[in-house]
Amino acid sequence: MTSHEHDHDHTKPPSQLELRVKALESLLVERKIVEAAALDAIVDAYENKIGPRNGAAVVARAWVDPDYKVRLFADSTAAIAELGFSGLQGEDLAVVENTPAVHNMIVCTLCSCYPWPTLGLPPSWYKAAPYRSRVVIDPRGVLKELGLDVPADKEVRVWDSTAEVRYMVLPERPSGTDGWTEAQLMELITRDSMIGAGLTKSPVKAQ
Amino acid sequence: MNGIHDLGGMHGLGKILHTPDEPVFRSEWEGRVFAMLLSVNGVGHVNTDEFRHSMERMEPAQYLSVSYYEHWLHGLETLLYEKGIIAVADLDAKLAQIKGNDACQ
Amino acid sequence: MPIVLTSDMVAGALKTGHSTRVDVAIEPRFKVGQRVRAKNLQPLGHTRLVRYVRGRVGIVETDYGVFTLPDTMAHGNIPTPQHVYRVSFTSHELWGPAADPKNSYRVGLWEDYLDPASDMAP
Repeated sequence: MTSHEHDHDHTKPPSQLELRVKALESLLVERKIVEAAALDAIVDAYENKIGPRNGAAVVARAWVDPDYKVRLFADSTAAIAELGFSGLQGEDLAVVENTPAVHNMIVCTLCSCYPWPTLGLPPSWYKAAPYRSRVVIDPRGVLKELGLDVPADKEVRVWDSTAEVRYMVLPERPSGTDGWTEAQLMELITRDSMIGAGLTKSPVKAQ
Repeated sequence: MNGIHDLGGMHGLGKILHTPDEPVFRSEWEGRVFAMLLSVNGVGHVNTDEFRHSMERMEPAQYLSVSYYEHWLHGLETLLYEKGIIAVADLDAKLAQIKGNDACQ
Repeated sequence: MPIVLTSDMVAGALKTGHSTRVDVAIEPRFKVGQRVRAKNLQPLGHTRLVRYVRGRVGIVETDYGVFTLPDTMAHGNIPTPQHVYRVSFTSHELWGPAADPKNSYRVGLWEDYLDPASDMAP
């Protein structure tokens, strides 16, 4: 067992779900189908190591290095691997670019497919029925509900992750960031901006 | 299958319930279910397509109302039983044993 | 024989993943730029052919290469390798004449999900 704080109250009895999962794990470990230490390592990887900071690093690099940006669009998987990010649910990555003319949005209407190596595991709202059902039929309504103002004359391009390619948005670089380092730029790049459900922070707000 | 999971274009499923931030796993059990599936997927027990299909076969009202990782738990259990890796009776017995142990504390 | 994933294997396994690409040279049926129609299939089993594109006409934008087919992988681990295409659809095509023409859609579709469409408007 890991030593992190459990978020359940030890004075409350465990829920039916918790007991069921505990029983299942116990059974699978006993039968030597899974190893408990491996389960710990997997949880640790996705809680602490693999997350949207990876994607932010890719975005910041593309903003400051035009040659990298060319490579990123020529072969996203290879370019992202240059920064050390690769693997499960990202074996085939494709970055799509926001421009003054186009706003991109990513969804998996059928389940929850998402580029794990660059963004980590998806947030609950991305995996739930409201986003999955609405973003394809009313993307602008979804943007409005999320508080984004996308001009009517801008194209909204929706990417449904039905196949094994995993998409990530390259948001537009905010103005007022000339000469910023990649580390500084990364502070402006939100997870939602790489899904297309949000925008990057502005330099003024970030201070 | 023309299942409940094929949600694109449906109306009336409610507000987005967007959160700016949330923990990766909201309870410990979610992380364990996630990790168990990853441990049996692609190593010779199940493949990703079977796993997706197992969740698609959830009872539709359940699919829409339970939390995300309950889909995973349902799918994982379904596949383990269908492939004869464990039996329902085995899990029932283990559950009874664990409840018995907890009651003793 | 299934293997047991042990903790020392985890980092490598996550970094490698499970690609479903198949390294086999198969002639693609469709070309980039070609108009295609998503088939009106109603399978009882697993598919990634979303209902909202069935019967609809789009344009092939990209050929992603050869992958296993989920419809047969989910039922017996049968690969049926084939090309997967990115197809773009207009909003009017998918959602009718009242849809916002400034919205557009891209969907990944396996070759078995597609038929050629004529160059004439449907």
